[in-house]
Amino acid sequence: MLAAEEWEVLELSLRVAMCCVVISLPLGVSLGWLLARAEFRGKVLLDGLCHLPLVLPPVVTGYVLLLLFGRRGLLGGVLERTLGLQLAFNWKGAVLASAVVGFPLMLRAIRLAIESVDPRLERVARTLGAGPVYAFCTVTLRLAAPGLIVGALLSFARSLGEFGATIAFVSNIQGETRTIPSAIFTYLNQPGGEAPAARLVVISVLLSLAAMVASETVSQRLRRP
Amino acid sequence: MLSIDVTRELAHFTLDVQVNCPYTVTAVFGPSGSGKTSLLNLVAGLLRPDHGTVSIDGDALFSAKHGIDLPPERRRVGYVFQDDLLFPHLTVRQNLRYGYDLLPSGARRFAVDRIVDLLELGPLLERRPGLLSGGERQRVALGRAILASPRLLLMDEPLASLDQGLKDRIIPYLRHIRSDLAIPMLYVSHSVAEILQLTGQVIVLRQGHVLACGDFFDIAQRSDVLPLMEAHGFENVLAVDIVANDPAQGVTRIRYRDRELKVPLCDRPPGSRVFIGIRANDIILCREQPEGLSVRNAIEGRILDLSTVGGKQLIYVDVGKRLAVEITPEAVAELGFQAGDPVVCLVKTHSIRVGPDVE
Repeated sequence: MLAAEEWEVLELSLRVAMCCVVISLPLGVSLGWLLARAEFRGKVLLDGLCHLPLVLPPVVTGYVLLLLFGRRGLLGGVLERTLGLQLAFNWKGAVLASAVVGFPLMLRAIRLAIESVDPRLERVARTLGAGPVYAFCTVTLRLAAPGLIVGALLSFARSLGEFGATIAFVSNIQGETRTIPSAIFTYLNQPGGEAPAARLVVISVLLSLAAMVASETVSQRLRRP
Repeated sequence: MLSIDVTRELAHFTLDVQVNCPYTVTAVFGPSGSGKTSLLNLVAGLLRPDHGTVSIDGDALFSAKHGIDLPPERRRVGYVFQDDLLFPHLTVRQNLRYGYDLLPSGARRFAVDRIVDLLELGPLLERRPGLLSGGERQRVALGRAILASPRLLLMDEPLASLDQGLKDRIIPYLRHIRSDLAIPMLYVSHSVAEILQLTGQVIVLRQGHVLACGDFFDIAQRSDVLPLMEAHGFENVLAVDIVANDPAQGVTRIRYRDRELKVPLCDRPPGSRVFIGIRANDIILCREQPEGLSVRNAIEGRILDLSTVGGKQLIYVDVGKRLAVEITPEAVAELGFQAGDPVVCLVKTHSIRVGPDVE
């Protein structure tokens, strides 16, 4: 049904999207909590910074990532020397690009979910003998779980669709950074590429739909009284 | 014994409290914004005092001098809020066991089954809080706090959001907690009838300071305490005799001096002497005995004095005891009430709370 090259594209897209969710979630929860519950100087600035990728053209985000994390970038050189981690023109860079672009969507969902939990519930848990981390996990995080799932889904779906930042930061290298959108773009520029492009379009629609249905089911179960 | 000696800067005043609570239950009374909830939060560890100490039986929970500030989870101080604040995602059983399961088994003072029986929670165990009534929810909140084996229970107007009938049904459970489980309590409430069923010991707060502390009937006579209590919803208390119970009509007939009044059915033996509580704003003043009115409880008296306390207009009426009546300044101006005028005080049956026996 699918050619080997197309399987490769699909596998890479899913890998990138999952890694993107996994690395975004801890940061999303931390920042979501900070923005929902803490009062500090520069909160507005932090909030704006986190939401910047939402309003910037993705290509600009990708270019900024290239400046920062490219081999001669501010952080890219450090990462490569200390951790041996290379991001530019690498599938890990595609993960970073889609994580940054999808982060505002995830953060917004998580922050709203945490804000909707009565902060006094956590205080009750403390008076019942729960330490701060246990109280947060068993009360606030558990009650905010539907929001976390929605946030994860949005980040996942955004990652599957990410094109601009990815192509600017890590280019369109077959087998390395060619995800579904880049592949569709490539096929459409090739003679006779309509058929594989159409197959990938169908897959991308199905994937997004499946993710949406799964998250809705799970969050409804969690919300049941 | 709970000992509190703390100061803490708050938004509008400084909370500065030095009290010892040697009795099982100590009631805390004060106008809204007098620092009652802040005081409880300081004891629970949810608010940090600026100076001073908080200790239970000599063990410091907080001591500025010794640098002790136990976090709430290590204080073993239970807290029951006005809203029950049950965990909505857990069943009643899971709510009850939340604190219990966190305790090492040696530190658990009460078995789950015992508390479930005591608070009659058996049929509710598998339900979620969203499906419970207000009274049931508050009983679960009580049970949850008790099962964490607290050394002290803080109660912040736990019955305030319940209607009269439910209050009367929960009070016996509170008496059980006091007498059978012997957990000391700090109990914030506005109702004398409610407090007197649990304790006679009262702390009166005003603007963050302890205005009075001690036996209710002693301090309630003080000229600086009484108006404050009356103006802020504390009830007038009268001693009355039970005449007869009339279950068919749902009332109990009582006698106050030469007047017979009807109060909600209370099942006390005829001939016994009890306290009743009537809020100052539940009393209607008339110049003469009215006709064609559904209110049947009328007490004649004479106006002693008019005063304004905390923005509220109070009229004191001598009915054999001083009764505080709250009415609007417009009504005073219109009706021209003056000291010495004879008046009739009207009270609806269901505005009267039956309190404890006169001992």
